[in-house]
Amino acid sequence: MATMSCVLEGNRVKAFGKAIHALSRIGEELWLDPMVKGLALRSVNSAHSAYTCFLFSPMFFQHYSLGSGSEQGSATIKCKLLMKSVLPLFRGLNSIERNVERSQISISTPSDRVTIQFFCRHGITKTHNLHFQESEALQAEFASHLCPNVLKAPARLLGDMVMHFPVFQEEITLSMMPLSVSFRNYCEAGNDHMKMMYTEMSLHPDEFDYFQVGVDSDITFCLKELRGFLSFAESHSLPVSVHFGATGNPVRFYIKDMVLEATVVLATLMDSEKRGPSQPIGPPNPTSPRCADAAALPAVSYEADGSKPQDIPAVTELITSSQGSPIINPPALMQLLSPVDDPDRLGVSDEACPSATTTPASTMICSLLFRALSSEQDDDGCAARLPVLACHSDAEEDMEEDYRRSPSL
Amino acid sequence: MCLRFSAAMPLSTQSQADDEQYVLVASLDNARNLSNILKAITFKDHAIFNATPNGLKVTVEDSKCLQANAFIQAEIFQEFTIKEDLVGFQVNLTVLLDCLNIFGGSSVPGVSTALRMCYGGYGFPLTLFLEEGGVVTVCKINTQEPDEPIDFEFCSTNVTNKVILQSESLKEPFSELDMTSEVLQITMSPSQPYFRLSTFGNSGNAHYDYPKDSDMMELFQCTKTQTNRYKMSLLKPSTKALALSCKVSVRTDSRGFLSLQYLVRNDDGQICFVEYYCCPDEEVE
Repeated sequence: MATMSCVLEGNRVKAFGKAIHALSRIGEELWLDPMVKGLALRSVNSAHSAYTCFLFSPMFFQHYSLGSGSEQGSATIKCKLLMKSVLPLFRGLNSIERNVERSQISISTPSDRVTIQFFCRHGITKTHNLHFQESEALQAEFASHLCPNVLKAPARLLGDMVMHFPVFQEEITLSMMPLSVSFRNYCEAGNDHMKMMYTEMSLHPDEFDYFQVGVDSDITFCLKELRGFLSFAESHSLPVSVHFGATGNPVRFYIKDMVLEATVVLATLMDSEKRGPSQPIGPPNPTSPRCADAAALPAVSYEADGSKPQDIPAVTELITSSQGSPIINPPALMQLLSPVDDPDRLGVSDEACPSATTTPASTMICSLLFRALSSEQDDDGCAARLPVLACHSDAEEDMEEDYRRSPSL
Repeated sequence: MCLRFSAAMPLSTQSQADDEQYVLVASLDNARNLSNILKAITFKDHAIFNATPNGLKVTVEDSKCLQANAFIQAEIFQEFTIKEDLVGFQVNLTVLLDCLNIFGGSSVPGVSTALRMCYGGYGFPLTLFLEEGGVVTVCKINTQEPDEPIDFEFCSTNVTNKVILQSESLKEPFSELDMTSEVLQITMSPSQPYFRLSTFGNSGNAHYDYPKDSDMMELFQCTKTQTNRYKMSLLKPSTKALALSCKVSVRTDSRGFLSLQYLVRNDDGQICFVEYYCCPDEEVE
């Protein structure tokens, strides 16, 4: 039986709630992952093109303990909750600030429940017992140290930038050049240019706490998914680090303080020439969601177990997805995707290639590659097994069988 | 129901002679003192009005399991004249509220709608004279024969558990009750958890506990541990009454019937009462 119990005091409850709000902007499910180094909350959007993780260190809590009654010793529970079950509990942040003195969160395997208790003024106690599903946690792979471009700025600066874009603006483009950084709204070609309002702001490198440009690039990403994170960062007055690379590669936003750290990784559009109102690109499929579709995958990085598989040394750049985007490397790469998809699809992928050119939308958009945290336990050679998974709840059962990781299943 | 409008003379010049025809005349300088409290019980279209020399009682019922009553004492009215011991009729409550708010219902300070409500007796419509800023509207709403309100036989001698709470402490939990739960379970006990509201929804269950020594608990008289469930759909409308009130008393009797009594202060600080009676959904020991 694995358990976790933590207690949050006063205004930490509000901060926790604000993190939940930011996570709710990303996906419909919330992963709770209690670890020795802290409690991680994660969320992924359905297209796997946006990922957020908030890690609260034990110091964030008044009390944090992991019970380990299990034979395996360090097995902890990773649970998945529906965001719509959790968010209502933290919806009224002002009310929480006024009324909640303390909160206790505990996870207990035997009952399959997460218990969230609020100890409020006047002796009133609110107890919520939520069902959870045991689930492998996800972690987006992102090699920050390999990113050529790095920015660091107070959250306020970025908040002030994005404030100028209307709430309905889905995507923005961040352009990095040796002498400036600019933000502009991204306009899908085919829209009526006469009805669009174009907004562009430029910043001088001096405005940033840290500015490193390795490669000129324009990255276009979904702003909506970033707003909650920026709001959180602003409320804690934390500087935000931004790591990214060439066009089409994912971007990571990161904040850290003594007791918590948070990350947002967003996929970026692959095909993003510098585009203004006078340069519409070829007609993409106007009905396909943009940030939501998935195509290319970011660089694979392996964790400290260090063993890079020998047979895929070339796979440090873009890896194509199974969803029809153009194949950059030979079919050997497609093997990497097999655990996600039916093995039979490997054969189909060649046929899928020609269709890539007829569906321009799919060439433009990126998704992230995910790795199940427990894949470290996988000792098999990586030729046959993909150590990095694009995890989808439907595919989880298959993958877990493949990996024989979870004795409890 | 029919409405007839006319730009008639201001209410104050209505001749006394007209009143001879009415068995009930009730006047308010501020119609909101009636409309606000009626909103607290408007979950069904029809309401039964019963007037006695003590005042007005308005009853709304739902599926024979729930009854809400609003009491507006005679003292609340600027004029309350009744010619019989009991005058009863039934009207469409939604229409009545629409008429009371006919001047827009916006609460601009200093401006209010004056009301003169007149009823001629069996077979006559309910006549409303409404005036604001010199403009008068006359509404005549058809009445029906009143149904007999259900007698829930809830008497104080049979009450097993009673608490009085400050409404402020209940307003938020009530408004955030998990609506995917079909029932609202109320536990009252002389021992822990003392007073507990519980829901059982799709994502799990929730409990709101009020200890007997909470400073929100004005009265705590529980003799026996009782847990009863009530249909959420029946009780949820009481949230409106809760929102208007400053105190609420919660009582259950030996059968598990629930009585909620809300103390409501109107715009002029006068006290009115709203009460809800509800049958239990099932017995839970």
